[in-house]
Amino acid sequence: MTVLLEGLTVIGPAGTMVEPVSAEIAPGATLALIGESGSGKTLTAKSIVGLLPRGFRATGSVTVAGQALPVERPGDDAAWRRARGRSVSLLLQDPFTSLTPVHRCGDQIAWTVEAAQGHRLPRGARRAAVEERLAEVNLPARVADAFPHELSGGMRQRVAIAAALASDPQLLIADEPTTALDASNQAEILDLLRRIQLERRLSVILISHDLGVVRGRTDQVLVMRGGQVVERGATAAVLAAPEHPYTRALIEADPVVAARSGARIAAEEAAPSEVEPLLVCEGVTKAFGVRTVLDQVDLAVAPGAIVGIVGESGSGKSTLARCIAGLEREDAGSIVLAGSALAPGRGSRTPDQMQIVFQDPYSSLNPMMSIGAILSEALGVAGRASSEVPGLLEMVGLPAEFARKRPAELSGGQRQRVAIARALAPEPRLLICDESVSALDVSVQADILALLARLREEIGIAILFISHDLAVVRMIADSVTVMWDGRVVESGPCHEVLEQPAHEYTRLLVAAATRENAVPVEGKD
Amino acid sequence: MSDIRIIGAAPATRRRRRVPVGVAIALGVLALVVLAAAFGNLLFDEAMRQDVLSSTLPPGSPAHPFGTDELGRDVLQMAVAGTASALVGPVVVAIGSMLLGVILGTLAGYEKGWLDTLIGRWTDLLLAVPVLLAAIVVSGVMGGGYWVTVALLVVLFSPSDIRIVRAGVLEQSARPYIEAAQMLSLSRWRVMFRHILPNVTSLVVTNMMLNVAFALVAFSSLSFLGVGVAPGTADWGRQLTDGRAIMFQNPAAVFLPALLIVVVAVCVNLVGDWIGQRLSQVGEEVR
Repeated sequence: MTVLLEGLTVIGPAGTMVEPVSAEIAPGATLALIGESGSGKTLTAKSIVGLLPRGFRATGSVTVAGQALPVERPGDDAAWRRARGRSVSLLLQDPFTSLTPVHRCGDQIAWTVEAAQGHRLPRGARRAAVEERLAEVNLPARVADAFPHELSGGMRQRVAIAAALASDPQLLIADEPTTALDASNQAEILDLLRRIQLERRLSVILISHDLGVVRGRTDQVLVMRGGQVVERGATAAVLAAPEHPYTRALIEADPVVAARSGARIAAEEAAPSEVEPLLVCEGVTKAFGVRTVLDQVDLAVAPGAIVGIVGESGSGKSTLARCIAGLEREDAGSIVLAGSALAPGRGSRTPDQMQIVFQDPYSSLNPMMSIGAILSEALGVAGRASSEVPGLLEMVGLPAEFARKRPAELSGGQRQRVAIARALAPEPRLLICDESVSALDVSVQADILALLARLREEIGIAILFISHDLAVVRMIADSVTVMWDGRVVESGPCHEVLEQPAHEYTRLLVAAATRENAVPVEGKD
Repeated sequence: MSDIRIIGAAPATRRRRRVPVGVAIALGVLALVVLAAAFGNLLFDEAMRQDVLSSTLPPGSPAHPFGTDELGRDVLQMAVAGTASALVGPVVVAIGSMLLGVILGTLAGYEKGWLDTLIGRWTDLLLAVPVLLAAIVVSGVMGGGYWVTVALLVVLFSPSDIRIVRAGVLEQSARPYIEAAQMLSLSRWRVMFRHILPNVTSLVVTNMMLNVAFALVAFSSLSFLGVGVAPGTADWGRQLTDGRAIMFQNPAAVFLPALLIVVVAVCVNLVGDWIGQRLSQVGEEVR
């Protein structure tokens, strides 16, 4: 029943992408593959299920319960059809796209069951099989009749798990299974996976960029970087005493570790003084149709302060930011910046009041413009000369040559630095970071947070930092506002809110941020 | 900073791929067609001079490889001479309708609101007009002529261009980089034409080339129906009509212009697709 990887190597069009990987996974055990984007962890996973992109091939061998997978023959569909499902199954990151939107969830599970059994099931047996699978992932039977869009993200991922396991595989590969989910759902899904795995004696390869996911839920870990395994060993041992400098850097950059140790990137701000706040929002209300997204939200940001807003998707935190920026028009309430009230919409705002840094560094820069052109344009808005571009690049830690490059030539972290530089060009008084580090790898995330903290020190800019991740917010923010369902449920200095969360939802977030509820491996609940 | 080094990534220069064989052939054919359009009129005088009424020759003779038509004019020379009218009209129509499409489509897609509604209804109205029928009616009323047809086709071809550009602009204007431009309070014209338009260029160019091919067929059909060019002019559609009468004496008089229409239309499409693909790769990831 053991899964054996021997010398598994991935070769791309330009040479070896992943150096030979060998590992042994016992039934019921989990192997974690940890690394940042580009480390080769996903390529390794794809080579095991025969889904390598065109131009890529694998060598080496993978044996599942004594049977070899045709890893060296990615084009051999007949062989793969026999192997996929019964031997190995794949669980993907994004439950919003990995389920077919036009078919009911029950059908999607039933197809896998039927494919694994090799024949169609009669109506009653089919229904029973689907309900059994749904019960295994703690979902009620009625989910079988629902379409994916009728379910929440966490429920969809449960359906995806049920579908992936419907063929009763020996090996499950979970590729970033919780990255697309909200904090409170992540832990539940991971614990569910762990429970099922122990019950079924299933071998799991868990791929993640997030050390917190791995901690307490995996037995062995392979740390990958640039296509090579740089460190391996029992998870607890590696996390407690990392040997490779890269592993150490990864652990230090992990916001959860920082949250536990209380480490901060930004200097602690002095207690709020009597200075007049830079931004005051009062009673901001916004509805899209019949849905109230913001309900009487109050917020204040002092000059030079970093204020965090935390909440899940749908909590209204981004809408609040967009109302402040004038990209959405609030229905009611007042937004006052530096003593002057701002009418809804962009028309009443100037570039030197506030700027936004968006979440996705891949779509927030115009792909057809060079970095230099993007920054000169932003400088020109404030009447500054293009000759200031190198200085601006230096401010965000990029070399002056980058002015000639196009966004496509830059990494995610570099692009986000350019986006920050563009936002700083008109010398705004308030910088709004809307999930600005959520799409980045942890070590890059730490770099960007450090940059923001430094900018606050150097130019005294106030920052409104919006994130779904409390662990990240607490590393940088002076005070934090927790939003839930369009309302502010709690706000105050960062350490107070974290240490004595008053609202139940905040307590849930704090627990998720410090992973206090992680199931220990030995626990086998 | 500790950004990730992607090992073994293809160097940027590798993206200069070679031109595919089919596209290379199509480019060669189009180059010949452009040459013929530029200098074909010189041959036309010659073809007219050889006019020896009522001596239709079958193809194969050394002097007339494709034979002669019902007026004794050399079929090959007439076809070469007809290139100009086959090419100029369609190109002007494609460029003209795309200009309309870019301006109105960008306005509709970015401004939205009443302007979008107005432009949308206008395109609906134009799409309901059957192109060839309208051309025949207008030619009948206004006395016809090549440039009247060109002007009419510019207007009638524009709705699809407007819709395509509008869709592209709508898609782009929802992207964060457009919101970032709005945060800089840039003028709407700058956002539309400096930021959005370059990102829909591949769409614009591909569709323009498609329109050249469509217009070529439309022009030839109109000439075939006797509406486009004046009788006696060298034109592929005209040649088709005239050649029909002598199909059994000289089949090449029909097949040569017909083949040319098809080959040129296909080549234009091939090249258009290829250019569009190249353009859409400009801002893409190096993978």
